[in-house]
Amino acid sequence: MAAIEIQGLSKRFGEVAAVDDLSFTAREGAVTGFLGPNGAGKSTTLRMLLGLVRPSQGSATIGGKPYAAMAEPFRRVGAVLEADAFHPGRRARDHLRVLATAAGLPLARVDAVLREVDLADVGHRRVKGFSLGMRQRLGLASALLGEPEVLILDEPANGLDPEGVHWLRQFVRAFADRGGTVLVSSHVLAEVAQTVDDVVIIANGGLVTQSSLAELANRSRSGVRVRTPQAEALRGALLAQGISAQLVASDALVALESAAEAVGLVAAGIGAVIFEMTPEHFNLEEMFLELTTSEGASR
Amino acid sequence: MKNLIHAELLKLRTTRAFWAYIAFALAFVPVSIALTMTVSNDGLLLDSSEGITAVFSAASAGGLLLLLLGITMMAGEFRHNTATPTFLITPDRRRVIAAKLAAGSVVGVLATAVSSLLTLAIALPWLAARDIDVSLLSTDVGAPILGGLIGTGLMTAFGIGLGAVMPNQTLAITVVVVWSTTVEALLINVVPEVGRWLPMGAASALSGTWSAEEGLLPFWSAGLVLTGYTLALAAAGTNLVTRREIT
Repeated sequence: MAAIEIQGLSKRFGEVAAVDDLSFTAREGAVTGFLGPNGAGKSTTLRMLLGLVRPSQGSATIGGKPYAAMAEPFRRVGAVLEADAFHPGRRARDHLRVLATAAGLPLARVDAVLREVDLADVGHRRVKGFSLGMRQRLGLASALLGEPEVLILDEPANGLDPEGVHWLRQFVRAFADRGGTVLVSSHVLAEVAQTVDDVVIIANGGLVTQSSLAELANRSRSGVRVRTPQAEALRGALLAQGISAQLVASDALVALESAAEAVGLVAAGIGAVIFEMTPEHFNLEEMFLELTTSEGASR
Repeated sequence: MKNLIHAELLKLRTTRAFWAYIAFALAFVPVSIALTMTVSNDGLLLDSSEGITAVFSAASAGGLLLLLLGITMMAGEFRHNTATPTFLITPDRRRVIAAKLAAGSVVGVLATAVSSLLTLAIALPWLAARDIDVSLLSTDVGAPILGGLIGTGLMTAFGIGLGAVMPNQTLAITVVVVWSTTVEALLINVVPEVGRWLPMGAASALSGTWSAEEGLLPFWSAGLVLTGYTLALAAAGTNLVTRREIT
């Protein structure tokens, strides 16, 4: 059974559809990257999954149950949704004590999670003196209090220095390797590419693609960059031949076709002048950009 | 529920802002007694039933701060985004608000009890020094103390309800301060038949800051009116917070 299941989920804020009929799943024991540009609906989706925002339509369950319907959800699911969800005047350890008390968890857990996120030495300090990286860790500590099997992180790498990002990657990887399920959102594929097993890519509130990271990498194609004063006309001719192409400048386009000959023949067919033709290979990040801009926009 | 109430009390104890609110609330006691004993002494004969009640109404002098404290207990969760972890631990938001109301009532009554003891400790020797006889068992002393424990004790819970209805903390505090110090104070003085039905009018009737002779409600009616306001705000606030999107 999928650990996390999103089914036909929609959220409208007035006229704006923040999330639009979104469906995907996240496997147990795997790290799933939840990717999309800013404003794609990632945070809204995660908040619906956690019962903080009411869906307009559809359902979101963890282990077959909506979050709010669980008796002690913090024992199954831990979540960090914002880097700064603390009273600035409260000491870090006290913040965790408050949450542990509300959850009825033993205070020993407080010290255990502080050690787990490397904050044991600064637990007595007030949060207002914490760097963004320390706040992210404290948020993670809060999520770990109930020893959950599922971890949901919204843009956890935001504001982290390279050392912090490295630490987070190892932490998430180790969590999944112990059998845990992780759903981690990001607007930068490169940030999570080293950590995730699967990817769910969304744009404009809807699913663009869901696959394993390896499968996505295999799909990456090569293409041909063409510089021509008739870029727009050439794009139309290419599309007519079933070759997708994108304008990248007023006098340049990229044809998603690895054979330069095919592109050259189409150009000759419409008498287009060609100044330059260069083979191109897309890396994962470019794939991501292409998926979230072109396909996402034309959904 | 016991865990949640403990957590709410712990939230309070672990911020310095809470202790500042309590300290300020208590600091109003000697100021209020001194004002009644000296400055406003002209029109008010101290050695009278009204005079004694006015002195002991100091027990409720910090009521406004206890109300503001209640606002921060609820609206502060939205201001600092702690609503997210709070509602992740306890998705049933009604239980969170119920725990806040319980914790707020405990704090309100305890703070008013301390404030009452402080009032007695300052006012009794001061009045004795002026050769004014005061019986601790008289209604002149008992009514403002008991009224304070009821009315001012309710103030924190009242503030929690208000903070739930008006989750913008700065706005809620501004509205309350302006409303209670000008709008309602004016209404009580100028149109008492309206002012006495309002929350601060009822609280004043209980604490003896103003008396029934000046147009306010009688003691027990005032208690019922103020309890009604608190319950109505709590119900409306619970309804709003439960539907609120936590973004």
